[in-house]
Amino acid sequence: MYDRQVMDTVTLTIDGRQVTVEKGRTVLQAAIESGIKIPYYCYHPGLGIDGSCRVCIVKIEKMPKLQTSCSTTVTEGMVVHTRTPEVVEARASVFEFLLINHPLDCPVCDKGGECPLQDFSYSFGPNESRMEFPRRVFDGEGVRADVDFGPTLMLNRNRCILCTRCVRFMREIDTDAQINITDRGYGSEIATFQEQGVHSLLSGNLMDVCPVGAITTKDYRFKARPWDNPEAVDTICTLCEKGCNTTAWIKAKPEWAKGPQLIRMTPRLNPDVNGYWMCDIGRFDYHWIEGDHRLQRPLVRSEAGTLEPTDWTNALSKVADKVTAAGGTGALRFFVSAQASLEELFLIGRLGGAFGLPESGVAVGWRQREKPQPKHAKFKIPPTDAPNVNGARVLGFPVKTGSDGTADISAFRAAVEQGRISALYVFDPGPDGYIGDVSWLVEAKRAGRLPLLIVHGVVMTELASVADIVLPGAAWVEKDAAYVNAQGRLQGASRAMAPPGDAQEDWQVFVNVGLALGAGLTYTSSAAVRADLAATLSANEAFAGLTSLAFSRPVTARHWLQASNPSERWKWDFMFQDLPPVKFAGTPRATSPPQTIALREVD
Amino acid sequence: MDPVLTRYVREPNGHTLDFFLQHQGYEGLKKALAMKPGDVIEMVKASGLRGRGGAGFPTGLKWQFVLKDTPLPKYIACNADESEPGTFKDHVLMERNPHLVFEGCLIGCWAIGAKVAYIYIRGEFYHVQKVLEAELAKAYDKGYVGKNILGTGFDCDIVIHRGAGAYEAGEETALIESFEGKRAQPRIKPPFPAVSGIYNCPTAVNNVETLCNVPGIVLNGVEWYTSLGPDKNFGPKLYCVSGHVKKPGVYEATMKTTLRELIFDYAGGVRDGHRLKAVIPGGSSVPMLLPDQLDIPASFDDVAKAGSMLGSAAIIVMDETTCMVWVAKNLMYFYRHESCGKCTPCREGGDWLYKILTRLENGEGSMRDIDLIASVAGNIAGKTLCPFGDAAAAPALTTVKNFRSEFEDHVREGRCTVPSDWRGWRVAAGAH
Ligand SMILES: Cc1cc2nc3c(=O)[nH]c(=O)nc-3n(C[C@H](O)[C@H](O)[C@H](O)COP(=O)(O)O)c2cc1C
Ligand code: SF4
Ligand code: SF4
Ligand code: FES
Repeated sequence: MYDRQVMDTVTLTIDGRQVTVEKGRTVLQAAIESGIKIPYYCYHPGLGIDGSCRVCIVKIEKMPKLQTSCSTTVTEGMVVHTRTPEVVEARASVFEFLLINHPLDCPVCDKGGECPLQDFSYSFGPNESRMEFPRRVFDGEGVRADVDFGPTLMLNRNRCILCTRCVRFMREIDTDAQINITDRGYGSEIATFQEQGVHSLLSGNLMDVCPVGAITTKDYRFKARPWDNPEAVDTICTLCEKGCNTTAWIKAKPEWAKGPQLIRMTPRLNPDVNGYWMCDIGRFDYHWIEGDHRLQRPLVRSEAGTLEPTDWTNALSKVADKVTAAGGTGALRFFVSAQASLEELFLIGRLGGAFGLPESGVAVGWRQREKPQPKHAKFKIPPTDAPNVNGARVLGFPVKTGSDGTADISAFRAAVEQGRISALYVFDPGPDGYIGDVSWLVEAKRAGRLPLLIVHGVVMTELASVADIVLPGAAWVEKDAAYVNAQGRLQGASRAMAPPGDAQEDWQVFVNVGLALGAGLTYTSSAAVRADLAATLSANEAFAGLTSLAFSRPVTARHWLQASNPSERWKWDFMFQDLPPVKFAGTPRATSPPQTIALREVD
Repeated sequence: MDPVLTRYVREPNGHTLDFFLQHQGYEGLKKALAMKPGDVIEMVKASGLRGRGGAGFPTGLKWQFVLKDTPLPKYIACNADESEPGTFKDHVLMERNPHLVFEGCLIGCWAIGAKVAYIYIRGEFYHVQKVLEAELAKAYDKGYVGKNILGTGFDCDIVIHRGAGAYEAGEETALIESFEGKRAQPRIKPPFPAVSGIYNCPTAVNNVETLCNVPGIVLNGVEWYTSLGPDKNFGPKLYCVSGHVKKPGVYEATMKTTLRELIFDYAGGVRDGHRLKAVIPGGSSVPMLLPDQLDIPASFDDVAKAGSMLGSAAIIVMDETTCMVWVAKNLMYFYRHESCGKCTPCREGGDWLYKILTRLENGEGSMRDIDLIASVAGNIAGKTLCPFGDAAAAPALTTVKNFRSEFEDHVREGRCTVPSDWRGWRVAAGAH
């Protein structure tokens, strides 16, 4: 996909323009890189070349027949034409063939508005159809033709243009070739063995690669249209230590409308981290953010023993009272999920310093779980379900791992179970379970071995339900925060939406808790925390980018495409060429970690 | 010319190893194994042998292109998928002269440095496979195939692989894919099979008849071989004559023989009381020739000069009872059914053409449809990955070009106007 070494270049002429590209590129790639429009379907920059759709045909001088540009490697002095009448006509005829059996049910199709078949057909296709026969139908007509395609996907074979991108994704990236074409010729259809559907943790990418609405996700279908003005925010996924670059899509809707705002996650190209892909966990596991179990108000345990909602003032004074009663701030211990961002960890460190805690005063935990994937999958999901284990390590927290990569918190656990800790502050900003197994902690609390338990988190977990005080924080899409992924790469996740109810961004919660407990933290924004953190870490090169990390804000999709970072912009130029050209020299290239591709600030 | 390849096909035991050995069998192999592989290739090059599978590419050159400096194993793939409508010559060779096929494979392997030849045989040739397997077992037994062949230290295996029955599997790269157990769909060339073929190793794909020519060249010499046939079109050639002739069958002749001679002398001419209407000279995929175009040698070059192709040398003869709209539809049915479905124009266009042609043949078409056929077929031709697209377009294009009035009659009369007793069973059913 991306070659790391710099290679020789080749100069060729496309439509009279001299174009210099890296040796080994295809004519199609050369054209795309220079902003010359050639349509394509079977070609996908992340997959092998197939040469089957035939829409990318061009005229190359000295070659008798028209050639498919996706499968022709550039040579020095090559002269290519993409707009001669011969090419224009031939290309239109291929579009005619593609469309004679396509249902053209764009008004009810999920891809409508972001569909390469629509876009390219408008630009390159014939104006009208000469087809007078009924269209080919597989499983029924209209959306009834949508059939189950595994746990996450739906398939509509009528819309399929047989580009085989899905087949090649499964074969080349997932490496478990579950999809293939059955029958041949006119009867060809996409299928899985005995209609079992696709069972893969990478299945969502099939929706991305499918250039039409044939493969859609059950999660997103019928939820929004691109022109519903969804807003999009460049961010990163924090559900594991890979840190895939993603985009969170926000549905713009009237104030009174019910339902969630966050409607989908899509991968954002970063050749260094995730390429074009992301996994289904990151893509589909976002519903908890706006789910019923979100903590929206601080909770304090009443005399009657139930957790009652209250306001922040009351909750924070209760924190102060109870900590004092449990032996004062010096007795306070922290148990932190590695879901915590650098800023949050830094603030915990500041609190620990102010309270004079020993190094063992903070334990860091996370969940470790193997993801069932083919052994040779090209996109591997790491077992560590935390975005910032490395961040905690770099900040000097006692991050201990067992031989299998699990968090080793045995000393801390022993202290709790032996009743040696009188006041514990748990910070758990991830979804339920991501802090790791805490059933033993719940048990210790129930057994009365832990006098004071404060849980600062985002959902009503079992642990929160046994706490004395619960403080509502923000999910990762609700705050600007920085993380260090498994490669040691510093990346920023952006605030896409506000925390629900009275919940606050976590840096704010820590500042307030600090104030309540007499530690003078005076930050007024997460940026201020980052600036201080950067100053503290100025000797550490990996953190040089910390102050220049820019965070995106929701912008309308169109605006976002123009403003987003170069690598993402490049992908969209690739996929949807109808957008205004915002080109830049060359292609984004993999660098060596830990440099990041910086997000560009959006006005 | 005395037949070379088919000389003994009528002998009851002509296909057996004993008979073969009594008639100079495996003598060519013996001679080849005494030569340097490079010299064998030079000899085949000098003989001018051209591939009999359809394209007429020089076989010696193809062998020379097979990558030499590589640690990878090399292979001969013998293309026995023979599925082109009207073609049945490889069938005869394999069934009646199997050891000649083996001998050709072995010499080919020796020449390019391969240790295995795979015979990819058409799915429907079950009965032929049985013969091949029985004879191959005998050849193994007697040491003509296998380890240390004829005591020369040359090891070479022959493996027979039967396909699942697809015309497209005859295309050389689709054959390789199918052989590897994948869908019979062509690969992008380059790389050519000579560089990256079976299991991505250098492979020479050769037609059955091509390989059968090789033992004779080695045994009898280049001079003998080039004395048969006109310049650049040397050697014995098998012609499959079918259709409205008195004696349809496989005929062996040199490429000096004219198409007219093949039809009228060899195959006994058109049925009594009938006139010749059109001839397809090289299997269904090539343009038709008209009766006044037949006085040309049936060679690769002369047929090409006449605007068609010798292809697989399947000469399909049609007399005046043949409805050309029906011919186009019939052949389109085949191509629609056999398209592998990879390329958009071939997959979608083939079906569309078939539908338009069916409508026309049923007398329900319009004049516009006639132009539409020409346009759609023209849009398929030249825009596909493999030559199948051109082949699929050919029947529609040449029938409309040469017999446009028949299409117009169908539109005007709302039925077929061609007298066709032999299709009487269809008269009651519809237009025919
Ligand atoms: C659609 C298609 C079908 C073909 N079928 C056959 C076939 O059945 N037998 C064959 O020998 N060659 C067939 N060919 C030609 C082969 O691709 C290839 O050129 C040939 O096997 C090479 O052998 P040769 O050089 O000995 O002719 C076919 C080609 C195409 C495009
Ligand atoms: S389902 Fe989509 S990706 Fe797969 S072949 Fe069809 S159009 Fe292409
Ligand atoms: S031209 Fe037809 S048969 Fe050949 S590869 Fe394309 S779809 Fe398959
Ligand atoms: S993009 Fe070139 S053939 Fe499909």
